[in-house]
Amino acid sequence: MAKRESRKPIIKKKANPLKAVKLEGPIDYKDTVLLRKFISDRGKIRARRVTGVNVQQQREIARAVKNAREMALLPYSSSAR
Amino acid sequence: MRQYELMVILDPEIDERTVAPSLDKFLGVIATGGGTVDKVDIWGKRRLAFEIAKNSEGIYAVVNLTATPELAQELDRQLGLNESVLRTKLIRPDAH
Repeated sequence: MAKRESRKPIIKKKANPLKAVKLEGPIDYKDTVLLRKFISDRGKIRARRVTGVNVQQQREIARAVKNAREMALLPYSSSAR
Repeated sequence: MRQYELMVILDPEIDERTVAPSLDKFLGVIATGGGTVDKVDIWGKRRLAFEIAKNSEGIYAVVNLTATPELAQELDRQLGLNESVLRTKLIRPDAH
C-alpha cells in the first residue's frame, strides 16, 4: 500500500497583483482604479489571503482605501443585496 | 517646512469658473505665512461615492504645498469654516 507523501494540501502561491501593475512609490488613496481591485463588490476591503499581497502592502492598501472613503472616492458599503 | 497634499471637495452648486479664484483666495494664507503652493489640480465635478450634506456630486481639487505645520493647520481650519467646502483632507505624502 503506497503511502501518501504528504498530507498537507498543496497551496498554490498567488501571484502578487501589485507586481503586475508597475507600482513605484507608496499606494495613493487617489488612485481609485487600483484600489477598486482590492475591495469587494460591497465595498469591503479584501483579505490578504484573497489579494495575495504582502503584509506591508496590505496595510498600505487598507489605509489608502480608508482615506479614499473619507473623501467619498470609494463607498463605505454598497447597498447591493 | 513640510510637504503637504490637500484635497478639497467643494459644493457642486458653485460656478466652476469661480473655483480657481476662490481656491487662490484660500491659499493666500500660505503665501502670506511664508509657504509656497507648488501645484493646484482641479479635477472638476465628480460623483461622490455617497451623499455629503445632501449632495451627490462635488468639485474636487488637489493642492500640493510646502508650509510649516501651523500654517497648514490654519489653512485646513479656514477651509472647514467655509460653507462651500464640503470636506477637506490634509495629508503628508512623504510621511507614509
